[in-house]
Amino acid sequence: MESLDRELEQGELELPADPVHLNMGPSHPAMHGTVRIVLELSGEIVTKADVQIGYLHRGFEKMCERGTWAQVFPYVDRLNYVSPMLNNVGYALAVEKLCGLVVPERCQWYRMALGELARIADHLTCTGAMAMELGATTPYLWFIKAREMIWDILEEETGARLTHSFGRIGGMASPPSPDFAALCGAALPRILETVEEGEKLLLRNRIFLDRLQGVGVISGADAVSLGWTGPCLRATGVAYDIRKAHPYLKYDEVDFDVPVGHAGDTLDRFLVRLGEIRQSKRIIEQSLLRMPTEGPVNCDDPRMVLPEKGEVYTTIEATIRHFKLIMEGSKVPMGEVYSYTEAGNGELGFYLVSDGTGTPYRVRVRPPCFQVVGGLSRLIEGRLLSDIVPTFGSLNMIGGECDH
Amino acid sequence: MPTFKLDGRSIPFEAGDTIIKAAWRHGIEIPHYCWHPGLSAPANCRMCLVEILPNPGQRPITLDVLAWNDASHEYTTTQKPKLQPACRTAVTEGLDVLSDSSEHVRKARRDVQEFLLLNHPVDCPICDQSGECKLQDYWLEHGQFKKRMRDEPVHKPKAVEFGETIVYDGERCVMCTRCVRFMAEVAKDPVLDMRERGNLNEIVVAPGRRLDGHYTFMTEHVCPVGALTTKDFRFKARVWFLRSASVVCQGCATGCNAYLDYDPRHNKAYRHRPRDNARVNDFWMCDEGMLTYKEAHEGRVLGARLRGVEIPVAQALDQVRALFGGVSSSAVAIVLSAEHSLEDNWALHELGTKLLGTEGVFFAARPEGYEDDILIHRDKNSNTRGVRSVAPEAKPVGELVGHVESGRVTHVISLGSTALVVRDILARATWLSLAAHEGVLPELATVVIPVTSWAEHSGTYVNSRGLRQVSDKALEPQGESKAAWKVIGSVAAALGHDASWRSLRAVRSELLGIDEGGATRPPSSSAIDEGGATRPPSSSPEGVPL
Repeated sequence: MESLDRELEQGELELPADPVHLNMGPSHPAMHGTVRIVLELSGEIVTKADVQIGYLHRGFEKMCERGTWAQVFPYVDRLNYVSPMLNNVGYALAVEKLCGLVVPERCQWYRMALGELARIADHLTCTGAMAMELGATTPYLWFIKAREMIWDILEEETGARLTHSFGRIGGMASPPSPDFAALCGAALPRILETVEEGEKLLLRNRIFLDRLQGVGVISGADAVSLGWTGPCLRATGVAYDIRKAHPYLKYDEVDFDVPVGHAGDTLDRFLVRLGEIRQSKRIIEQSLLRMPTEGPVNCDDPRMVLPEKGEVYTTIEATIRHFKLIMEGSKVPMGEVYSYTEAGNGELGFYLVSDGTGTPYRVRVRPPCFQVVGGLSRLIEGRLLSDIVPTFGSLNMIGGECDH
Repeated sequence: MPTFKLDGRSIPFEAGDTIIKAAWRHGIEIPHYCWHPGLSAPANCRMCLVEILPNPGQRPITLDVLAWNDASHEYTTTQKPKLQPACRTAVTEGLDVLSDSSEHVRKARRDVQEFLLLNHPVDCPICDQSGECKLQDYWLEHGQFKKRMRDEPVHKPKAVEFGETIVYDGERCVMCTRCVRFMAEVAKDPVLDMRERGNLNEIVVAPGRRLDGHYTFMTEHVCPVGALTTKDFRFKARVWFLRSASVVCQGCATGCNAYLDYDPRHNKAYRHRPRDNARVNDFWMCDEGMLTYKEAHEGRVLGARLRGVEIPVAQALDQVRALFGGVSSSAVAIVLSAEHSLEDNWALHELGTKLLGTEGVFFAARPEGYEDDILIHRDKNSNTRGVRSVAPEAKPVGELVGHVESGRVTHVISLGSTALVVRDILARATWLSLAAHEGVLPELATVVIPVTSWAEHSGTYVNSRGLRQVSDKALEPQGESKAAWKVIGSVAAALGHDASWRSLRAVRSELLGIDEGGATRPPSSSAIDEGGATRPPSSSPEGVPL
């Protein structure tokens, strides 16, 4: 072995002129998800970034083609696993659109309330994790504390904290629990309080602001041309929200605002999400007020909706109905449909094709963050290496829905 | 062809057709329980009621019915058309029939369905019919009502043994009498009948008798609900997990068309079901044939053997090379098998006569047995005529004994497992047996190489009437077995010959006298049905005989 203290002639030492290649991810503590970015660095400046996704690809769309239509729900839970309820509702609405079903009013309000709870959880996770990736662990814990309150409510309603599989074609798995409104009423103010506390730790912090402001800037026109939707698009000033532009469920009957940014930078994306948390709270409160306490949650269509369990055990008619739906699945009319809802990250679209059988012929997902991640390289090229972490964090890539 | 109108659609019919039969032939199902295309029509289930519009100028046949009037809170008399059973009403030219499009018909079906389920037990979870039950299908298609009766349902005998094969459940029975009529009309043994009236109705076996004979399984097959179940299939599988392959029954030379139902998750066959074919078996199969599905698993040869010791197939082929290499062609004989498909026999015949140059061609077969004038043939082999067409010169394997005894034949390659032969003498020859099942031939053989049974590969069989029928692959090959024609190709390679057949398509095109360009030559044997000989077997999706 060469001795380490070998005398070097300083004049001979040359710094490499070639750019340095750096591999960031796929498994990296500061990466917001399982993704790999191959970077070309000149000093600390990113000259080229090659974003490589697909590490969470499970063949979800193909898997949907072997079960029944109802058996897709557990798969959509695992798309954006931070807000599975929104995916459940989005898929249910798509199948119902194909079947021409409209769920009872009580269910529509219930779906909205649950969906907005999930949206708050989604935004809390994204903003909290982004702060944590910048070293601010305390606000993250604050936000996660608030998320726990939501998860407690969802656990009370669905029995599961994360992957609920709670949606059904033509309704929901069960009606709202008697305490649902009371639970939400108690939790929402506390959640907002916690969020505000967490915010105070961040938005008065010069270092935090400096790392966000003017970083990862994109113009509204560019964002639209990339197909961006959701909070990332709204941060550029484009007030496009599917809940307003193409209302579904009862969104046209509730009063809420669409928070927008103006600079399209990382800070705006951060603030838009925090603004949406407050709007979601408003929607939930209005939904709970207007949701009937009595009445059916599910459609009464024996071809689509399972019968009451008590009747299944005691009458042959309900047993037959149960068996037909479980053995063969709901027969969705032949045809195709594209249905889209506003999920945590933007437009979550389902393109479904049915050949008239109980099994989907094709389930195609338009995951919102696929398009958003498509714009990542242009946000970080020319910026410092350290800017990748907040920029990428603010895009909220969720591998489960992006990789398909 | 004359036509009539069903729901506004013009449907052709043949003279003597009933409405339901003409529609059925046209692929339209009018819901029914008691009607079966192969049986007489008693019109007792009332599920197939249709509305027949009166001829122009004619008064419609109507009934006075009482209907509840919500406004006046009393029953008032109204009229509705008199519905007719589609299974008993003959079609006439221009008849205008309403089925799905008539509100009265839809209501009648719903009401009939509600009556049928009135006393039905909550048995779907434990009923073998569940998944292929007409009560389930029609409830969703024509019922969709909820239970209105709150009384205790009528209870009837359950799990009544009708015989060695069939169990009866009175509570599930809808009294369609298909089983009664099948036994009387097709099996010619009127051993079943009906007892009592109304909701005490039940099916009974004639006093002093058991439900036996050769066609008991068919009573279960014609049962539209779960009232009759076979002891063989009872509680064995759930039908929605099963997949069906169109196969040809291997029980005898009739070659009944069947479905082999198997579970792809466990690669296991569970039952045979008859597949309709008016040219062979109509709608029926015999008990023995229904049970041949078991041969997909029972008594199988799954590994190669050298003098009774298990060895890998590759080693067995090495042994074949060592034992058969350099033997003069006159000392080699081949034994074809009437139990195996045309493809398998053709490959062995090709190996023996073309590549090895032998003139000793024999064939083995199962012994003859019971026969009747319904379906069962005395020849218990599925492909006797096929072997004859591949090798018209083949002699019965019994004649091989003399050749072996005199030492003229010292090496034999055989296909199949069963043969009525003198074992001790044949065992003197060096014997390569390609067998799917255990039997005389693999027992006396020096080297045994496993091949697949009919259930694990697609094969062509010629039945006693000369119909070529293709049996599809159901299961994946078990153990180390491969299709015999493939194994024979490997044997040829081991002996230093180049087998011309590489794929099933190649074998079949040779078999059918069709070369790769698609030009046709006359079939090699006149025994084969002329009509289908120019069509490749794979082009018949339903396995309809060619």
